[in-house]
Amino acid sequence: MATPRAKRDPILPAWRTALYALALMAVDAGVVAAQDQPATAEPLFRVDRINALIAILVFGTAVTLYTRWAKQGKPLYIRKLAGLDAIEEAVGRATEMGKPVLFIPGLQELDEIETIAGVSILGRVARITAQYETPLIVPVRYPLVLAAGQEVVEQAYREMGRSDAYNKDTVRYVAGDQMAFAATVNGMLMREKPAANIYMGAFFAESLVIAETGNAAGSIQIAGTARPEQLPFFIAACDYTLMGEELYAASAYLSHEPMLLGGLKGQDLFKILLVLVIIVGIVLMMFGAADTFLSWFTIT
Amino acid sequence: MSFWDRISRLDRRWIYLLVWLTVITPLFLPATFPISVTPEARQLYDAVQALPDSCVVLLTFDTYPNALAETEPMARAALHHLFRKHIRVVTLTTIPLGGPSIAERVTRELAATYRKTYGVDFVNLGYKPNYVSVLKGLGTSIESIYPTDNSGTPLAQLPLMQNVKSYSDMKFIFVVTDNGIIDYWISIVNAQFKIPVGAGVTAVMAPKQYAYVGSGQMTGLLGGMKGAAEYEELVDKHALATRGMGIQSLIHILLIVLIGIGNLAYFMGRRKRGAA
Amino acid sequence: MRTTVPVAIAFVSGIIMLVSFFFRTEDNVFGDASQQLLIWSSIIGGFSFLLGAISIVRVNWRNVRLKKSGWGYNLLTVLAVFAMLVPALIKKGWLPESMAHLAGRDAGSIYDWIFIYVATPMSQTMFAVLAFYIASAAYRAFRARSAEATLLLITASLVMLWRVPMGEALLNSIHPGLPGWINTYVMSGINLSVQRGILLGAALGAASFSLRILLGIERTYMGRG
Repeated sequence: MATPRAKRDPILPAWRTALYALALMAVDAGVVAAQDQPATAEPLFRVDRINALIAILVFGTAVTLYTRWAKQGKPLYIRKLAGLDAIEEAVGRATEMGKPVLFIPGLQELDEIETIAGVSILGRVARITAQYETPLIVPVRYPLVLAAGQEVVEQAYREMGRSDAYNKDTVRYVAGDQMAFAATVNGMLMREKPAANIYMGAFFAESLVIAETGNAAGSIQIAGTARPEQLPFFIAACDYTLMGEELYAASAYLSHEPMLLGGLKGQDLFKILLVLVIIVGIVLMMFGAADTFLSWFTIT
Repeated sequence: MSFWDRISRLDRRWIYLLVWLTVITPLFLPATFPISVTPEARQLYDAVQALPDSCVVLLTFDTYPNALAETEPMARAALHHLFRKHIRVVTLTTIPLGGPSIAERVTRELAATYRKTYGVDFVNLGYKPNYVSVLKGLGTSIESIYPTDNSGTPLAQLPLMQNVKSYSDMKFIFVVTDNGIIDYWISIVNAQFKIPVGAGVTAVMAPKQYAYVGSGQMTGLLGGMKGAAEYEELVDKHALATRGMGIQSLIHILLIVLIGIGNLAYFMGRRKRGAA
Repeated sequence: MRTTVPVAIAFVSGIIMLVSFFFRTEDNVFGDASQQLLIWSSIIGGFSFLLGAISIVRVNWRNVRLKKSGWGYNLLTVLAVFAMLVPALIKKGWLPESMAHLAGRDAGSIYDWIFIYVATPMSQTMFAVLAFYIASAAYRAFRARSAEATLLLITASLVMLWRVPMGEALLNSIHPGLPGWINTYVMSGINLSVQRGILLGAALGAASFSLRILLGIERTYMGRG
């Protein structure tokens, strides 16, 4: 007699799937053999993913702990990030030259964490442009980024007491296609000749197309991305480049808020733990005893 | 301004002119070159070669039209290999702009060569938005994500899809992409559903993918047009990518020469300023 | 209120997605809730395209009205938006049978024709421009200013030669093992370890940033804090 494997049917709840399996077997052979068991319901909690849960708890504890210490006023050292220090200088230069500042929060949707980091930095930049009364241009590729960008910039102008200077078209949707976006931004760069271009977020093949045109237009350029493949292009064409995690640290760094800086320190602590784990793994592997250790870090 | 300073600050339009001349010259003087195969491309080929005949493979066209020079030859070479082995192919895309029509055009053209029948030997599922949900959802039920194929035919009417309900009914995923979606094919599909994933990516993306190949999460890699040429060599179907190797060779050599000249000018200018 | 509600939504949504990773999601509240969130995000994303269309038309039309320099291009942009949008929205049934194929987005429609014969070549042209820009950026920026830069320059030149048949032949003539050495040690060795380092750092940065958003500490993405 064939022994059908009772698969969980995604449409039916667990108890119905079990009955369904039994019925199939009965129809198949006319008899339900004693060894044929109905589908056993798998446990709700995924024990096989407990390692990820432990990692999240350790990570969360490290971040929360440092945030609390920061709240209590404990001094936290954060190394200098030249690219971010240069932002105020670049906006100042734009003000002196009477030219705008161009900001691109990347070319990804708002559900990408890099884009959210870019929008956060946009808020900081908008405060500076509002303070100096410097025009700001923010071309975006996705409508949701448009909505978030408009909200952030408007709020920044309001907080700086410059609501009157806020223009709703500061943040504008230009094109959904990657290269159409690049073409439009290149046009803006050559026509408006912004004094400073700031690129913060997820970038792809258009990174060099835009940054090289900005370089030709004579702008100061500051870029930041977590995409390793685009870093060489930004480094070649921009004056300052934030690499990888520096992008995520930027909003905390610019805000100087102890609570945000505490998050960065917690992240560093976890990174140190990760490095230790890697070293232990390498040593164990050298002695051919890493199998159990490696299995602790496998997520199914 | 000295001669070396002028060379150092050469107007970029001269460089553009040199690039243009280098690109068009091989078009008038076509030449073929022997293609050596990297271990990563060989690994991908071997993985496909080891698949049982008539099994099902998912081939993705996650590519925008602008990168077709690199990605289309990869997809074509892959289809030659798959159809020749009588492997049944399901295609899909996560790119709304152009993805479905590229998949349709390339697959149908190659299928006609190998006398393959739509719905029996291959199916084009087309595009659905929100790629994270799509990639996750296909692991449970293809039909819930794609009730119909790219032309609107219900999957229930396609013989091939009667036995292909989720990733578990596929043996391999061949991703052809020009963007970061490859990270999700690895982190969602390979990691969570344990199906082997091989990839053809643009040249600029290739260095990052070595991390996945090294960790065993990616089964073989084609990088850029050279990677496509390697697969053409492996399946013995020399086409677009192999022909493009002449242009690419000359451009790479031009870049090295330009960098050399730029550095020479930089050092000569510095020496002159030091002497003065 | 303007801050508390979005922070609460972010917290609840984030926790639902996080919890659904640790529980089996078939046929239970965890799976349903996370799936619903994904669907909502997709729907909101779809509606938001309307905002994009309004923005692009408003900005460009204002330039046309004020006759700003280059207003002709703005006009062309507005016309292009409607040239793609209108035929795609027309239902086949609204047209006589002989013209029905022009409506919608199927093969042979106006939308498809513009996409294949106008949008695609323009997009490919912009992509091709990259070759020119890479050359000029490399010429200008790739200078052996320090020991590290010199090392980078030599490595990059070797990799560029290795990636093309002519260059590989040249490397082979120097030493037959050189191309293999570049693949093994430069690409699968040095490159791989650097890529992993950046990836790990960026992933941790993203995780920390997400956690700050979930806990409501990071509010700068809403323009607050």
